[in-house]
Amino acid sequence: MMTTPTQSQVLGFKAVTVRAKNESRESRPILDAISLQLEHGETLGIVGGSGSGKTTLLRLAAGVLAPGLVLERGEIETVGTNLLVASPVERESIYGSGVALVAQSVGESLTPHLNVLSHFRDAVSGEAVNERVLESLAEVGLGGEKYLHRYPHQLSGGERQRVLLALALVRSPQLLLLDEPTSALDVSIGSEVLTTIDRLQRSRGFALVCVSHDLGVVSQISKRIAVMNQGRIVELGQTSQVLRSPSHEYTKALVSSIPKLDQRIRESNSQSNETVLVCRNLGIVRGQTTRAIDSLDLEIKQGEVVGIIGESGSGKSSLLAAICGLVPISDGSLQNGDGYDLSTALQNRSRTVLSSIQMVFQNPDDSLNPMRTVAQSLSRYTQATNSEMSSVLLSVGLGEQFLTRRPHEMSGGEKQRAAIARALLAKPRLLLLDEVTSALDVTVQAAVMKTLADVQRKLNIAMIIVSHDIALVASFVDRILVLRHGQLVEQGSVDDVIKSPRDSYTQNLVEISGRRLSFELN
Amino acid sequence: MKTFSRLGFMRNRALIVATLGLHAFVALLAPYLKLLSTDAQDSAALLQKPSFDHWLGTDALGRDVFSRLLHGGRPSLVIAFAATAISCVIGIVIGAVAALAGGWLDDALSRVIDFLLALPTLILLLLISSFFGQDPFVLSVALGLMYTAPIARVARSATQTLLMRDFVRVARLQGGSRISILFGEVLPNVWRLMFTEVAMQFTWILLAFSSLSFLGLGASPPTPEWGLMIAESRSYMTLNPLLVIAPIVMLASLVLAIQALVDHE
Amino acid sequence: MINLARRVTFSLATFIALAVVSFLGIDALPGDGCTALLGRFGSDTKIESCRQENQLNDPVVVRLKNWSTDLISGDLGYSIKRDEQVSEIIIPRLRNTAVMAAVAAVIAFPSAIVVGLLLGRFPQKRSSKVVNQLSVIAMTLPEFVIATVLWLVLSIWLPIFPGVSVMPSNASVLQLLPNVWLPAFTLAVVIFAHSMRTMRASVTNVQTMPFVESAQLRGTKERTTISRHIVPAALPPVMNVVALDGAWLLTGTFVTEAVFNFQGLGRLAIDAISDRDTALILPIILFGLAVYLISSLLADSLARIFDPRLRSAKG
Repeated sequence: MMTTPTQSQVLGFKAVTVRAKNESRESRPILDAISLQLEHGETLGIVGGSGSGKTTLLRLAAGVLAPGLVLERGEIETVGTNLLVASPVERESIYGSGVALVAQSVGESLTPHLNVLSHFRDAVSGEAVNERVLESLAEVGLGGEKYLHRYPHQLSGGERQRVLLALALVRSPQLLLLDEPTSALDVSIGSEVLTTIDRLQRSRGFALVCVSHDLGVVSQISKRIAVMNQGRIVELGQTSQVLRSPSHEYTKALVSSIPKLDQRIRESNSQSNETVLVCRNLGIVRGQTTRAIDSLDLEIKQGEVVGIIGESGSGKSSLLAAICGLVPISDGSLQNGDGYDLSTALQNRSRTVLSSIQMVFQNPDDSLNPMRTVAQSLSRYTQATNSEMSSVLLSVGLGEQFLTRRPHEMSGGEKQRAAIARALLAKPRLLLLDEVTSALDVTVQAAVMKTLADVQRKLNIAMIIVSHDIALVASFVDRILVLRHGQLVEQGSVDDVIKSPRDSYTQNLVEISGRRLSFELN
Repeated sequence: MKTFSRLGFMRNRALIVATLGLHAFVALLAPYLKLLSTDAQDSAALLQKPSFDHWLGTDALGRDVFSRLLHGGRPSLVIAFAATAISCVIGIVIGAVAALAGGWLDDALSRVIDFLLALPTLILLLLISSFFGQDPFVLSVALGLMYTAPIARVARSATQTLLMRDFVRVARLQGGSRISILFGEVLPNVWRLMFTEVAMQFTWILLAFSSLSFLGLGASPPTPEWGLMIAESRSYMTLNPLLVIAPIVMLASLVLAIQALVDHE
Repeated sequence: MINLARRVTFSLATFIALAVVSFLGIDALPGDGCTALLGRFGSDTKIESCRQENQLNDPVVVRLKNWSTDLISGDLGYSIKRDEQVSEIIIPRLRNTAVMAAVAAVIAFPSAIVVGLLLGRFPQKRSSKVVNQLSVIAMTLPEFVIATVLWLVLSIWLPIFPGVSVMPSNASVLQLLPNVWLPAFTLAVVIFAHSMRTMRASVTNVQTMPFVESAQLRGTKERTTISRHIVPAALPPVMNVVALDGAWLLTGTFVTEAVFNFQGLGRLAIDAISDRDTALILPIILFGLAVYLISSLLADSLARIFDPRLRSAKG
C-alpha cells in the first residue's frame, strides 16, 4: 500500500531506532532516534566511524534490514513508500526507477559470469538496447563499444564503480544511495569518480545520500552533512558550516583528527650521521615478469623518518617486504648501516640483524595470533620479561591489563598498538610501517600517530612510513618519496615536495589532497 | 506438525550430546555390563521374538540380539579411531610441510597427493581384506593410508591460507625457526580449520568398515558387528524384524549425531 | 588450451603409472590364475603344468610387457578360472551396470539440482526443513542400509519390485529392466542426497554474495535473479560432484549389486576377488582408474565453462 506521497520528500526517517535482536533494552541501539528528511534534488552526506550505524541507516533507506536486527520504533519512507513492509512486487518496481543503492564492495557487486551488456539487460529491454547502454556508459565516462563485452574481472576498480553507477542510474531513479563510493579505489581514481558523480547529480537532478568514513569524500559531493557517532546523529547542517565551525564535541574531534597538508603533528629531531639503510639500484621482481621496484636508490640515517607515498601497484609494499627480508631482491644492493648484505635470506640472518629491522602490517585483525594472549604474542620470539612488556605497552598507550587480553577482546586501534609494541620489543634500529592506520577510524588514527611520534622521539629510531594518504605522511615525516609503478618519481623534504613538486604525478596527488581538505564545493 | 518434531534431532544440541554419550557408554562399557554372552548359541531358541530372557530376541543361531547389539559398535569404532588417527597425523604433516616448504618439495608432494587420490579406494580395500585376511591391524593401517590423501590436500590449502596471515610473517621477522613456526603458529590453527573434515572422515571410515563387514570382508564371524549382523539376518527379516532394524538404528544414530555435532561448529 | 593438454598428459601418466603398480601389486599377491582354478589343494604337478601352459612362470618383466601390448591392442586377457576371455565376461556386466547407472543418474541429478535450488532459495518453508532433514539422514546412512531398507519396503512388505535377481548376465536390456529399478533407486538416493546438499549449500553461499543483492536492488525480477545470476554461479561445485558421483555410479556400486545380486561390474568385482581371479581383477581396477581420471578432467572443464575468470587464465 503506497502511503500518500509527500510530494517533495524523497526520503524521511522519523525517530527510527534499530536494535540487534537478542540484545537487552539497556544496551546501546544500533540506531538511536534517527530523524532526517531529504527533498528532491538535495544532496546529503553521512559521516561516521566504524560502528556509528551509518551503513545500517543507508541500507534502511533502501529497505534492507539485516536479519539479526529489528526496527524497534519509528517510520521510514523512501520515495513515498515504506519499503520495509512493501510487497516484493512493489519493491521490485521501485528499485531502479525510484531508488537505487550502490553498495560498498565494488569488487564483488558485479556478477562474475555476466558481461557488462548482460548486466544492463536485467533492466533494459526492447529495441535499441545496445544504444541505450552505450549512452549510459558514456555518461559515466566509459566510452566505446569495448566495454559492452567485458567481464567484471577485466575491469579496473574505477571502471567497475562507474559501471555500477551507470546501472543504478539507467532508469533515472529519484534517489541515489552510495555506500563508501571510493574507499576501495586509489586516491586519484576516486577523485575522478567523485567528480563524475557530482557532474551527474547536477545534470540529472536526482537526490543523493552518500555515506563515507572520509570527510573529504562526503564534502566533495554533498551540500548537507550528518555526522554520526554510536548510532546517533550528533550534528546535521550545511557542509561548509559544519566543517568550518563544528558545534558538537565529536565533530570537532573528527575534523581536527584529519591529517592536513600544512599541519605538522611531529617535529623532526636532529639526525645523526649514522646510516641505517642503503639501497643502490634496487630491483624487485614479483611473479614471473612484473618489476615491482625498478632502480631505486635510497639512504636512511639513524633517527630519520621517511614517508613513501604510492597508490596500488606502486611497489611500496614490495619495497618494505624486501627491506625486512620477506621477499628476495633481483637487482642492485641492499645493506644495513654496518654494511651487512640484506639480501641474505631470513633464516640465514643472525639474531641481531633480524631484530634491527621490524615491521608492522596493515590489517589489525591479522597481526596477532587469535589463539594467544598479548603477553604470549609479544614474548614468544623476543623472550621479553613481564616488566619489559609492561613498560613497552605503556609506551604505546596500553595499560598492563592488556597482557592477558586476546585479540577478539580488543579494538582495531588497540591491536595495532600491540603490534607496534611487539615490534619495539625487538629493539629495532629501523621500523617499517605499512599502511598501519589505513584500517582505523580517523580519530583512532590520529591517536596512534601521536603515539608513534612519542615513541620515535624517545627511542630515536629510523622509520619508513608507507601510506596512500599524502597529508598523513606530510604531517609526520622528515622526507618524502613518491613511487609510481615501481619508479621513484620524486624525493625531497616535506616542504619541497608539497609546496613545489616537480613531477606532474606528485602535483596531481597534492592538488587532490588539498582540494578535498579545503572543503570547497566545486 | 508434531510428527516431524523428532526430525528436529539435528538441531537439538542436548539430544545430540545425549546420543553420543549413550554410544560412548555402550561402546566402552559393554563388556563390563552383566549381559548375556554374545556367542552362546541356544539351539532351542532360534529366531525368537523379544521376550523377558532376550530383550530383543535371538538371531538365527540362538544368540542374544541385545547383547550383540551393544557390543556391535566396538570393532568399527576401534578401527575408525585408529585409521583416522593415522590419516590425520600423516596427512596433516604432509600437507603442512608441503605448504611451508614451497618450491620443488611442494610440487612433488602435491603430485603424490593427486596420485593417491586417484586410487580406487574401495576396490583396494576389498582386495586387501580378501587377500590379507581380516586382521583389524592391517585394515586400520590400510584405511588410514587410503584416507591420508584427502586430509593432506585440505591441510595443505589450510596451511597456505595461514602462511599469508600477518602474524606468521611477523614470527619469521622476529627470528622464529621454521619448526617453531610450524608447531607454534601453523599447526594449532590448522587443526581448528580441519576439525570438520576430520570428523567427516571418521564417519566415512566407520561406514566403510561396516560395509566391508556387510560384504563379509570386514569383521569376521562370530564377532558381533552391526554391518555383519545386518548381512547375517537379512533373510530372516520377517521372523524378527529387530534383527535388522536394531543395528541400523544404532549405526544411523551414531553417524547422524557426529555429523550434527560437526555441522554446529 | 595449454593447460588442458598438460592436465591430460598428467592424467595419462598417472594412469600408466598406476596400471603398472596395479599389475605388480596383484602379481605380488599370494596365488595366481592357476591356484584360483585348481584351489590351494590342487596337486602340485597339476598346478605346475597349468602354469607352463599359461606362461605364468615367465619373468615379471616379460609378462608385464606381454600384458601391456595385449591391452593396447584391445585384448583384455584370459581368465583361467572361468575359461573365458575377460572381455566377454566384463562387457555384458559393464552394460548392465551402465544401464543401472543411467537410470539412477536420470532420476537423481536433475531432481537434486532443482530441489537444492528450491531449498537454498526458500529455506524458511516448513517443507524445506523436512526435506533437508530427510536428505541428511539419507546421506549418512551407508549404502547397504539404504539398499536393505528399500528392499524391505518395496520388495517384501509391498511386493512391487522383484528383490534378488536371478537373471543371467547376458539377458537383454528389456529382460533386465524389472531388476534394475531397486538397485537404481538405491543408488539414486545416495547420489541425490549428495548433489542436492551441494547445490543447496552452493545456492545459500551465492545468495549472500554482494552481486545478488546488487541485482535485486536494481529492480531485477526474482525469476531473472535466480536464472541469470544465482544458478550459473552456483553450478560449478555441483558439476564437480556430478562428475565424481557419475564416475562412482560406474565403478563403486558393488555393495548395492551384492544386496540385489545384480549382475553388474560391482558384483563381478566381488566375485573375482573372492575367487582370486587375478586376470579379472586387474582390468576392473584399470577401468575404475580410467573412469575416475576422465571424470576429473570433465569436472575441471565444466568448471571453466561456467566461470569466465578461469577461462581467460590460460586455457
